[in-house]
Amino acid sequence: MEEPRIGVYVCWCGTNISKMVDVEAVTNEVKTLPNVVLAKNYKYMCSDPGQELIIKDIRLHNLNRIVVAACSPRIHELTFRTACEKAGINPYLFEMANIREQDSWVHTDRSEATTKAIDLVIAAIRRVKYHEPLQKRFVDVNSATLIIGGGISGMTAALEIANAGKQVYLIEKSDHLGGQVKKFDLTFPHLSSAQQMIMPIVQKVRTHPYIKVFLETEISEVTGYIGNFKTVVNANSHGQTELEFGNIIAAVGLKPFDPSAIMEYNYKEFPDVITSFEFEEKLLSGKLLTVYGKEPRNVAIIHCVGSRNKIYHEYCSRVCCMAALKYVHQVRAALPDANIFEIYADMRAYGKGHEEFYALTTHKQITFLMFDQQKKLPVINHADRSDNCNMIIEMDELLSGLSIEVPVDMVILMVNMEAQEDVKQVVRAIGVSLCGSQFFIEKHPKLDPVATTTGGVYIVGTCQGPKDIPDSVAQARAAAARILATIAQGSVTMEVTTAVVNELLCCGCQTCISVCPYKAISFDENKNASVVNEVLCKGCGTCGAACPAGAIVSKHFTDLQILSEIEGIMSMSYKAN
Amino acid sequence: MSVRVQPELRNQLIQFGIGDWNACYHCGTCTAMCPLSEEGFLFPRKKIRLMQMGLESEIESSVEPWLCYYCGDCTNSCPRDANPGELMMSLRRYLTSIYDWTGLSKKFYTSELWEIGSILLIAALVVIAFLVGLPAMGYSFTTELTSQGGVKINSFAPIHIIEAFDWAMAIVVGGLLISNILRMYYKIIWKHGHMKVTFWVHIREFWRLVFNFSVQPKFGKCDDKRYWFSHWLLMSGYTIMFIVVVVFLPWFQTEKIVPAWHLQRALGYYATFGLLFGLLVAIAGRMRRKDVKFYFSHVSDWLFLVMLTLTVITGILIHIFRIYGMPFATYIFYIIHMAVLVPMILIEVPFSKWSHLAYRPFAVYFQHLKRHSVPRKTKHSNVI
Repeated sequence: MEEPRIGVYVCWCGTNISKMVDVEAVTNEVKTLPNVVLAKNYKYMCSDPGQELIIKDIRLHNLNRIVVAACSPRIHELTFRTACEKAGINPYLFEMANIREQDSWVHTDRSEATTKAIDLVIAAIRRVKYHEPLQKRFVDVNSATLIIGGGISGMTAALEIANAGKQVYLIEKSDHLGGQVKKFDLTFPHLSSAQQMIMPIVQKVRTHPYIKVFLETEISEVTGYIGNFKTVVNANSHGQTELEFGNIIAAVGLKPFDPSAIMEYNYKEFPDVITSFEFEEKLLSGKLLTVYGKEPRNVAIIHCVGSRNKIYHEYCSRVCCMAALKYVHQVRAALPDANIFEIYADMRAYGKGHEEFYALTTHKQITFLMFDQQKKLPVINHADRSDNCNMIIEMDELLSGLSIEVPVDMVILMVNMEAQEDVKQVVRAIGVSLCGSQFFIEKHPKLDPVATTTGGVYIVGTCQGPKDIPDSVAQARAAAARILATIAQGSVTMEVTTAVVNELLCCGCQTCISVCPYKAISFDENKNASVVNEVLCKGCGTCGAACPAGAIVSKHFTDLQILSEIEGIMSMSYKAN
Repeated sequence: MSVRVQPELRNQLIQFGIGDWNACYHCGTCTAMCPLSEEGFLFPRKKIRLMQMGLESEIESSVEPWLCYYCGDCTNSCPRDANPGELMMSLRRYLTSIYDWTGLSKKFYTSELWEIGSILLIAALVVIAFLVGLPAMGYSFTTELTSQGGVKINSFAPIHIIEAFDWAMAIVVGGLLISNILRMYYKIIWKHGHMKVTFWVHIREFWRLVFNFSVQPKFGKCDDKRYWFSHWLLMSGYTIMFIVVVVFLPWFQTEKIVPAWHLQRALGYYATFGLLFGLLVAIAGRMRRKDVKFYFSHVSDWLFLVMLTLTVITGILIHIFRIYGMPFATYIFYIIHMAVLVPMILIEVPFSKWSHLAYRPFAVYFQHLKRHSVPRKTKHSNVI
């Protein structure tokens, strides 16, 4: 091994670090350590001049290891690795010490924070000494895409990809395309027809030369990895077909909440208490009648059914408020003299045009009644004959502070959006994770909302979380763009810091196979040793920790590297004692 | 006990000037801004809620609309342009019609035809009474002047007949007004089975009625004190003139021309000045429409102002013509004066805008009765 020549750079991060950490003292402390050629500090290491400083020093002083003490590696590790690469050294010969999130931001004593910063930098110096150059790897991408779910999200993504001339396999559980949108009459906030919107899309998907639709088909096992997936589908129309594809989009959609669980609403008992989805059926049929065949004189719309309630679902379903306001327009158009009650918990009008739609709806001569979701739900009861109505809603009205009775003939329950019942089957098939509410988890909630932690698998629409049509469509197109980018590249970069099995040490116990969350390890009977598929391995290190024989090494996280780091972090404490 | 929501009530309320139904989204800024809203008597937001929900009995038992003097701060600070000030004004009109058991108030407020038609009808009757009635009874006017050179007014309008008519009118109108105030008391205090106001409290708090009538301290709490002043001038002038004309008419309507400093003329001049000043401010305000409180004018607002102004102006003219010995002009304007005054009193006092002169101080009195009420022990008392 060549002699390590380490350059250390301490960042001020403006005042973020320098306010709590004496960066000058840190620099001076580590300057004289073995193998450290130089140590410098600078106001913003991540800035262009900061990076330039590193590149110049590497060339001038022939450095072959770099340590930057700055913010979290999640933010700027890539920045400095790229700088190293530019200067001609392998990007993995770099180590970052986090003296901002783990130090300056969380401490209040300057001298102790400075000591901690020194510890962290020494740890990084000790570790980087044993870093080895690693090479990036690439894998070819099959240009076909599998899309699960034929709703508006799945179909939009399918058209986006197919229009670029790439093959799409679209599998749909039911016997028709269109998903939930096909069940709607109008959409909010423009009150445009859902049918006129969805039917041309269905038609295009059906006839597109690059889209193959499998109806009444459910996803079974998917094997392979990004760029090279495989599955077998059993479809009535196509028989058993084996499909190969490079990327997957899950667009499995939602399930309406079943309100019969809520005793207060007596959903099962009163035939004129219906869900928003059932009300859409009425709207599509063109008849707004009660079960008695009469026009309702009083229509109540109850919001947040199953939403924002710890007993049912804690999350907000996002679209129900606006859908409920949409119903006001539809009921008012059909029944000009009816009393309409919006029984809501909070009015959420977050989207484009939503607040305006809310304001517009308030002029429709309706009565808004507010209840406290956490305290008491409205209760739907039988009406007496003298009440001159079908049912009575009793509720504690929040804005007046009064207990009131609302006469009603028809109640629309704005039911929550739930995850599909069979979502676990999809999860098993494509290897994504679920959050507590059974929605798919995205790779990053803000910066990567359509990808998942499994390479090549994307999630769009309401299976990722409740959302409206525009958001679903935006996600679908975003996922399509991501997939088309990998197809255009022809290959994708693979994780470098994977696990490697030392076949000579492997005892064949297969513990690693049982703990691997990515199904990346298989057993080679001939060699009597485990083999890591480097394409599937994410470098999580679980196998390395579990291996009783110490036969598995995670690249970039070797025992030597980690132990040296620990020694480094402890070295000052030894000195103090 | 729960109350029934009644959205249909809106159709009634809207006729009293209530505009946008749902513009208010209950941020509560208006209540926070209001210098008169206080613990236990919060408004305007809570009252707007009652209107939105159509809670009829809750509205009828509300004392708060009368505690508002419409400074307009609430409307100016409303983020939704819901105009809480005007909603309170409309509620006062609605409540006036509710207190009135004859149903005429509602007719006058909701139908311009009814209100203007009734005024014209009564005015015509007055004119006929002067031109046909009095001569038929044997009273004839004279162009002869008094020794001081003044008009012999009592030959045209015999003082004992006018006085008798004044008393009759005062008794009818007063009776109606008092019965309406009793209904107001019933709705605000009596109807509430769960609260009890002792007789002693009724006595002890009575001074508030007198005090609030004569000083209007609540109005004085509004930020702009100028309106309190002009309104107080108007009100005091009106009250003085009313008392003088009804109770002391023989002392007031004399043929003898007393010196200008004489109490008869001095009181008359003060009252005239107070009335004119207050009226001018109100009319100018309603025409300029700059202040929120004057922005919206219901027909009843204008009618009251116009009729009162006409009464004052004709009164001044009668005074001048009488002193300067111009009999015909005096008689003509006396008829006009009465043709405006009589319908104004008959329609405005018990049924329309004028009645706030009585309802406001009584509301403050009732507010304090309510404040000192004790829960009545009934088997249902724990429900509330």
